[in-house]
Amino acid sequence: MAPNTKASVPDYRNIPHAHRVPVNHREVQRIFSKLSRQSLISLALQWLAKKNRDFCRPYLLGDNDAAEADEDEQYTPAQSLDELQEIYKQLAARKGGKREVQDRILEGDWRTGISMYQLATADIQYLLDHTNSLRWTAKRLARIPNAKSAVLDMEVTNDSDHLPRFQAQTFMANLARELTPLMKAHYLLTKIKTLPMTILRVYMHDSPYSTEASLAAEMGSSDSAKAVFFIWPNGSPFVYSSIANHLGQGIGDDGRHLRDIVQQAIPKAFSRPSARYQLAGTNFSTKSLEALLNYRGSGKSNAAAGGWSVFQDHSFSQNALDFITSQNEKSSARTQATAGAQDNTSSASAIPSMGRPTKHTLDSTQSSDSKRRRAVAEGRFGTSALPGDGQGLERIEVRIDDAFPQTPGGGPQAVDESNARTANHDRRKGRPSILDRSIAEVEELEDGEAWVPDVRVVFQGPHVFAGIRQLVEQGVVDGEEMPGWMTGEAGVTVAAVKGGRIQTKKGHELDV
Amino acid sequence: MAEMEILDADITRIRAKIAALHAHRANLSTILLSQPHLPSRLQPRPVLHEGNHRDAAARAEVQLKRNTENVYRACAGITSFKVKDPDPYAVDNGNVLGVRIEVSIGGRFIETYSVLFNRQDTQSKHVLKIHKHTIPPCIPLQQLANKWLPMSTKDAGVAPEQNLVRFGKSLRKELVSWHLRLAAIRTLRAEAGVDEKPKPATEEAQKPVIGIVLNAFVSDDESEEEDEDAGEDTVQSRHGGSIRIASIEADAAAREVLITWTNQRIGVIKVAKDGTVEKAVVRGADGTAQSAMSRAALGRIEGLVQRLAA
Repeated sequence: MAPNTKASVPDYRNIPHAHRVPVNHREVQRIFSKLSRQSLISLALQWLAKKNRDFCRPYLLGDNDAAEADEDEQYTPAQSLDELQEIYKQLAARKGGKREVQDRILEGDWRTGISMYQLATADIQYLLDHTNSLRWTAKRLARIPNAKSAVLDMEVTNDSDHLPRFQAQTFMANLARELTPLMKAHYLLTKIKTLPMTILRVYMHDSPYSTEASLAAEMGSSDSAKAVFFIWPNGSPFVYSSIANHLGQGIGDDGRHLRDIVQQAIPKAFSRPSARYQLAGTNFSTKSLEALLNYRGSGKSNAAAGGWSVFQDHSFSQNALDFITSQNEKSSARTQATAGAQDNTSSASAIPSMGRPTKHTLDSTQSSDSKRRRAVAEGRFGTSALPGDGQGLERIEVRIDDAFPQTPGGGPQAVDESNARTANHDRRKGRPSILDRSIAEVEELEDGEAWVPDVRVVFQGPHVFAGIRQLVEQGVVDGEEMPGWMTGEAGVTVAAVKGGRIQTKKGHELDV
Repeated sequence: MAEMEILDADITRIRAKIAALHAHRANLSTILLSQPHLPSRLQPRPVLHEGNHRDAAARAEVQLKRNTENVYRACAGITSFKVKDPDPYAVDNGNVLGVRIEVSIGGRFIETYSVLFNRQDTQSKHVLKIHKHTIPPCIPLQQLANKWLPMSTKDAGVAPEQNLVRFGKSLRKELVSWHLRLAAIRTLRAEAGVDEKPKPATEEAQKPVIGIVLNAFVSDDESEEEDEDAGEDTVQSRHGGSIRIASIEADAAAREVLITWTNQRIGVIKVAKDGTVEKAVVRGADGTAQSAMSRAALGRIEGLVQRLAA
């Protein structure tokens, strides 16, 4: 323990893992009451593991030095760590309530306090148990172009590196150097075994002191969220950030402000001399971690969303040594796509269409309407947007930037504003959104002749694109006339649309 | 109870048999349909059932196309194809050119990657822009595109020089070398005996999800840290001579490999794209550099384990 636990002197240190907060601290109660029995037992066993014992010292019989043997104490302290491990293994083996384990941890074995390390691991455990519990925003670490090395940056050589290098120790040291003058914080940076990512939890302690006493004293103060999470998917330039607010807990201005400070420090901690980074927005935020890993992850799926998902797996291009054609007849659209895929070497017949229904109706004798619509949906959405695939985006917001049609049916713009899309549009005035037009855009519009109203469409639901797919299959949305962004192929959750296409901002490069 | 189990076993066995027979039938029909003279023999003869005849001809046609496609893909490695963007608002009427790159390692095709191009500007016929792709972010696609497929800049009108073939070649090189590095690291793991075999699903629930805590020693409590280090040292020295590699970890691009030994010795090696170990640093548990080992690590990535063990 720190020698000066009692003296409160402002200092420049991080909060160490071993610092403890009392068990009746609001954060402790909140996090522990949410975890399941199984997760609690698994956590307790991890805390008792040899490498973690220093950060998570339990209350043992030997610690009872003050001879204040409470007669009424419910849990007799264990003799040794090994005995404690046995107890938790037994608890894991049998069934029982979750309360039993929670009470044993908080009132028994760790009655003297929960360490910051325990608190952080418990919070991360909950996050991984419930991957839809927080709202995440994806950002991209983008290299700030350097006039001198611009040519070098483009070069791809045998030893060039285009992704920011992530070296945990250096990163932590840099981050702490950026942040300690502004706030005291506890950091936990860990790799996740079940998902390909590294997670950083920063517990922000808005105080000049880093002592245990100041941690405990904080409990009376504000109720806003204290922790922020950052996630790096392995092998990609993206960062996801989120404020760990619990159910019903507001995100105060303080929390937001502290998060912004940490967020600003992150690209600085990544930067090296001659390689400076900044965080660029990617117009993507969602609650589902699986969806994040799909749209902004490290795999093949980032730039092939929506109907293009057929290129990710082998549904469009089978293995080059797979000659069997007769088994793929399960879905007609898929075989069409596969059979239609031609090398430019083979005979030059008509260009195959991925989903144009004309082709389907030509050679399918069973062209009942619903089958046809399903084929259209298959062609537009490919293998994506299926309910239950765990990659649901819950909110899509677009601004329609087309000019208001002058006369009904007069000109191509009017066609753009076709059917169902206009039905649920909604003019929003309220808190500023990134969809609000910039001054330059407004001026540009005023110069033009046509009137362009601020029309915004918001789709909301547990899995927006699966919903649109169902609407297509049921004939509510015309699958052939539907613009591409309604299939989710743009891979953004906030966008401006003009002429049926997502507008990309100037200077925005490929979201790779 | 036993009876139920026997029945269950029977059912699974029969299911497996059905699947095997299905696969066998598909295989046989493929062989039959691939007969060289089948299309011509199907052609002239008038038959009883015209429908059957047409069906057979269609199947033979599909098979023939598939065979041609596969032969090109297997032999050329990079093939192109055309698709139609179903989006009615797509540029250039939805004409999309696809480039498909096959990666084969160890005698099998393990992955297929695609890059899809469209023409932003219908005037300049040959200027392609990447529309969609399935290239993982650890491959420098944007840099390659900047180099070989530059887009027209401010002074429009002058169509920039694009070289799709060179782009495809260098992209394929990046992809294949990445897969080769990944394969080399798998081999290293097997040689060091630290294969990370996925545990059976029944143990899944018990497994802790939180992996290695990377900043376990960033805590400011210096004294505590030292204490623990000393403790670990004595534990290890009691173990004696059985020092071996405890884990081999690599980043997603397989460019940086972290090797940990059982005696807390740590090595970080940097691998170039062609699989040469460029830089290596090995440090003992007390933080001293072990330059002999660092030097031994340099060279090809293959055989790294043997060189380090020697």
